[in-house]
Amino acid sequence: MTVTDTDSVHLSPSDAARAEYASMVRAAAAGDQVAMERLLMRAQEVAYRFSLLVCGHPEDAEDVMQDALLNTYRHVSQIKAPEAFRTWLYQTVRNACLMKRRRRVDEPSHMTSIEQGGTDVDGDASSLDLPDAGRPADLQLIDAWKSERLRKALAMLQPGYRVIVVLREMEGLSTREVATITGLSEANVKQRLHRARLMLRESLKDV
Amino acid sequence: MTSPVASECAEILGGISAYLDGELDRTACDAIERHCQTCPSCEAVVQGLRDTIGLCRGAAVLPIPDSVRKKALDSISALLKTRPA
Repeated sequence: MTVTDTDSVHLSPSDAARAEYASMVRAAAAGDQVAMERLLMRAQEVAYRFSLLVCGHPEDAEDVMQDALLNTYRHVSQIKAPEAFRTWLYQTVRNACLMKRRRRVDEPSHMTSIEQGGTDVDGDASSLDLPDAGRPADLQLIDAWKSERLRKALAMLQPGYRVIVVLREMEGLSTREVATITGLSEANVKQRLHRARLMLRESLKDV
Repeated sequence: MTSPVASECAEILGGISAYLDGELDRTACDAIERHCQTCPSCEAVVQGLRDTIGLCRGAAVLPIPDSVRKKALDSISALLKTRPA
């Protein structure tokens, strides 16, 4: 099926994103270099963002990103179901994060490094928010404060809850996609998301 | 023993995420909205969860540090060079 602009008007954001990935995958698999480059760029962004938010270690995020690039490049030429690429990418990245976590034998049960990670090793910003030059300085400060609070609240969640919040609320995946990626039932994903939201609300009461 | 009011609150609270995600039918939505009009504590939870969801969804995309982005671009460039035309 070809996805047209008219079709995409009727798609949910999650369906539209899946269709966009599938379209890039088909083009890349057919030899389109520009599509392959766009796909790899998207893969590295997803891998870095997800890994940093869920695992919290900038150095691990960099490794996970490199793995995602290589795996995506290899996978595209063999892919049989382009529509499934988006969930495959998140599954691959999640598995790489889990491997990293297992290697960190002294990792505490819930990681605090997301809240520690205000800057990376090079001193670059690695916060949830980008400064918006168009917003007044006082509102930018409020945004930064809220982002910091959200980052701390996320870091307080157990990994099994955090991953659901990141995938559903921040990455915009559907319940079904999150269930596929995590191996949980859709009912379980919904239940965990509800509990995670209640926990976040408790942490963010004054925001 | 749980009072009828507390029991109704528990039922409402259990369905709030589904309500906020637009997964409930009109009848169920009406029931939650009617309850919240007379129950400030449930109304506060609904509003709090709505704000929390908004905060998560509104969090801007994580910027990738320039040094990391450069490494990724170098890797992409190297991969594309190995690809048959």
